[in-house]
Amino acid sequence: MKLNKNGVTWEMEKGKKQSKLKRIMAKRGMGQVITVTIGLVALVIVFGFLNPYFLTGRNISNLLRQIAPTLLTGIGQSYVLITGNIDLSIGSVVGMSCMISATLMTKGVNPWVAVIITYLAALFMGLLNGKLISKAKLPAFIATLGTMTIARGIAQIVNNNYNTDSIGEAAEGFMEFFYYGKTLGLFNTIWITMFIWLIFNFLLSRTRTGRHLYAVGSNIHASHLSGVNISSTITKAYMVSAFCSATVGLITTATSGMGTMDAGNGYELYAVAASVIGGVSTLGGQGILLGTVIGASIWGVLQNGLQFAGAPVAIRNIVIGIIVIITVLLDILVRLNKKAGKAKTGAEKSHFPVLKHKF
Amino acid sequence: MGNYIVELENISKSFPGVKALDQVSFTLKSGEVLGLLGENGAGKSTLMKILSGVYIKDGGSMEIFGKKVDFLTPVTAQKMGIAIINQELNLCDHLTVAQNIFLGRELITNGILSDKHMNAEAHKILEKFQIDINPETVVGDLPVSKKQLVEIAKALSTDAKILIMDEPTSALTSKEINNLFAIIKRLKAQGCGIVYISHRLEELQYIVDRVMILRDGKYITTMDFKATTLSEIISYMVGREITEKFPRVEEKVGEEIFEVRNLNAGRMVRNISFSLYKGEILGIAGLMGAGRTETTRAIFGADPKESGQIFIDGEEVRIRRPMDAIKAGLVLVPEDRAKNGLCTKLSVKENITLPNLDIIASKLGLVNRKKEEKITETSIKNFDIKLANAEVLADSLSGGNQQKVIVSKWLARNSKVIMFDEPTRGIDVASKVEIYQIMNDLKSKGIGVLFVSSELPEILGISDRILVMADGKITKELDVKDATQDLILEYATKFDKKLDSRQEAIEA
Ligand SMILES: Nc1ncnc2c1ncn2[C@@H]1O[C@H](COP(=O)(O)OP(=O)(O)OP(=O)(O)O)[C@@H](O)[C@H]1O
Ligand SMILES: [Mg+2]
Repeated sequence: MKLNKNGVTWEMEKGKKQSKLKRIMAKRGMGQVITVTIGLVALVIVFGFLNPYFLTGRNISNLLRQIAPTLLTGIGQSYVLITGNIDLSIGSVVGMSCMISATLMTKGVNPWVAVIITYLAALFMGLLNGKLISKAKLPAFIATLGTMTIARGIAQIVNNNYNTDSIGEAAEGFMEFFYYGKTLGLFNTIWITMFIWLIFNFLLSRTRTGRHLYAVGSNIHASHLSGVNISSTITKAYMVSAFCSATVGLITTATSGMGTMDAGNGYELYAVAASVIGGVSTLGGQGILLGTVIGASIWGVLQNGLQFAGAPVAIRNIVIGIIVIITVLLDILVRLNKKAGKAKTGAEKSHFPVLKHKF
Repeated sequence: MGNYIVELENISKSFPGVKALDQVSFTLKSGEVLGLLGENGAGKSTLMKILSGVYIKDGGSMEIFGKKVDFLTPVTAQKMGIAIINQELNLCDHLTVAQNIFLGRELITNGILSDKHMNAEAHKILEKFQIDINPETVVGDLPVSKKQLVEIAKALSTDAKILIMDEPTSALTSKEINNLFAIIKRLKAQGCGIVYISHRLEELQYIVDRVMILRDGKYITTMDFKATTLSEIISYMVGREITEKFPRVEEKVGEEIFEVRNLNAGRMVRNISFSLYKGEILGIAGLMGAGRTETTRAIFGADPKESGQIFIDGEEVRIRRPMDAIKAGLVLVPEDRAKNGLCTKLSVKENITLPNLDIIASKLGLVNRKKEEKITETSIKNFDIKLANAEVLADSLSGGNQQKVIVSKWLARNSKVIMFDEPTRGIDVASKVEIYQIMNDLKSKGIGVLFVSSELPEILGISDRILVMADGKITKELDVKDATQDLILEYATKFDKKLDSRQEAIEA
């Protein structure tokens, strides 16, 4: 059985083999990932030409470490965006985690115990976000606006409205682990980020919960009627986001060796930018974490590259803002085109040969 | 008694302002197809949503497979073997067909989703029911009729023993409907109990064993289908006799009021030319996907045109966006009410007045509340829209009543030409007749009426002249006196035939 329509061949028997590449391409948001990857490569080449130092091993290693926080918060934000929600509390949870861990360490608590307490506190914020939205039915924007303010308040209150002193000698191992140390020639921060990415990418793409995240973001009613537990799915997304934020908070503490109350300021929106550049839809249901990697990398490369090129912060901000808008515009244009193209090849016609019934 | 698989007794359910169900009892046997009938808003969907765990009953008792059930959720209902095909499509547009079919009960190997397995299973299910959709297609890319098939496949795939179909055929082509009937017969033979809800009463004769009728949330009667007639069923549904299913008004055909010349817009609108005269209803027939909706949308300015001219009263009008069309006196009552017709989060009043604000508001843009109330009241009365009051949200209305709101909002203003795209989909018999009568009224008043419909009986019953479309082109113009169902179908499938022969050539 073979049907040839405008160059599109669909063969039922061979369908499986043939569709392998197609399946990858059909992955939610893969189109945009490819487009922005090309953009990223172009950026790297341009900056490489502008400044020979840009592509040295040392700078690349630094660059990757610089990208890590954006990518980590981007992973969390992507999870939440895919469910059709948003997490505005990310930056504050980063700040809160930074302050809690640093304060505890300056008070002489074992750094690793401090790490655990920090994660628990952050996860609690995630849980709160999830429940407020899925159970109390608050709009995500409002709920996380509230917890954003609360978490920032906690960041300020834990050390009586002061940044902390240096976390000291006892935290040497902690600082090595999260920031300064290297394993196999790569900064630990990079390893941690890769590890977390691999885990959450696996969870999102290969498990039932992952599928439910997409389903809830795509059509919450249909998911509910299909037996998906809406509340727990949304809560899980927020817990993942909080976990990622806490990790960034700990990295921040390790980086500066102290706790700063306004750490993470604005990170939630950088995380949105990384996700959206990478093809995650703010309307839910769409996007993959590979895109978030590219999105965060574009973000980091622009920051780093423009800095090298001597552009002042103001210019950097303007350029990055423009890039965010352009990538999303591009995606919309591509999608519109695809729709028009579909109509031309007859999406209304089915893939299978026309059935012939007699009644 | 023994062989009832569902027994509902004295079920009641209220929504704010409406008593949707009032002490309704219901039974279903295994191996039977029960037609659940009633006007729009009679409570059919509500009753079935209670049975499938979507709504929780206010009172009454439920027994399913002889077991008393007090509290039912969608999940427990599914586990008990109840599957429902909802009136509104309930699919995740971003997921593939297979992923939708297995949503909530994904196949897992070693804790990992097995898409391969699910695709293969979905393929089997689709093939078994002769539904020709590739399981790996993303649902959002499918046309409505295919989506409805996916919804059906999803329900069937659960191997349910109790299957509820709430207007499953409203978006299907006749071929697909016949296929569905074959499936229903097969399931019935396997001992499933099936509840079938439809406003297309002609369908009942092919499948239904027994009918149960609701009216205004109350149980009216149950009858063996063989022992009754359609007109008896209708009179029970409506509470009075309906004498004419397709009331016809003869008018003298006058001068031309509307002309479309060589309209092109994408692949589905190719070289469309036609005229519309005073005193006639011009029907457009064709299969799903023939380009009828695209044509009306392009005329209305909702989609861009490539070329073509439009004349109203002999004068050319430039229509680039809907506002231009509305100003010129040309309006569209669109299909797919949830997506194109209604702002579901606005009240009924706001919906009705939305396109009429230019009439209601003063020059400064201030809305005249009195006029607003009056227009809304008139519309609700003219169309007999069933609602608690005009302030309720549009999406709380039953499907049919929503459709009436859409039609009525355009009729609240004086337009010269009105295009109706499937205005009676999902609407009960009595309301259908009301809508036909409204179209007849418009015709008598000299307003041009363009009437797109997939249902041949109503096209034949109401239009004066019929255009048949296939594959984006007008394949035939027929006077209603010469038209028959077969003739229309012949021209509506002109394209299909071509495809078949091409395909046979490839296979040979
Ligand atoms: N979620 C809801 N909120 C408020 N009112 C509702 C809701 N669902 C249904 N109703 C009301 O309950 C009544 C029964 O509606 P239902 O949808 O069961 O009718 P139906 O018989 O299925 O009609 P149709 O043939 O138009 O689909 C209607 O008056 C409707 O407005
Ligand atoms: Mg209904």
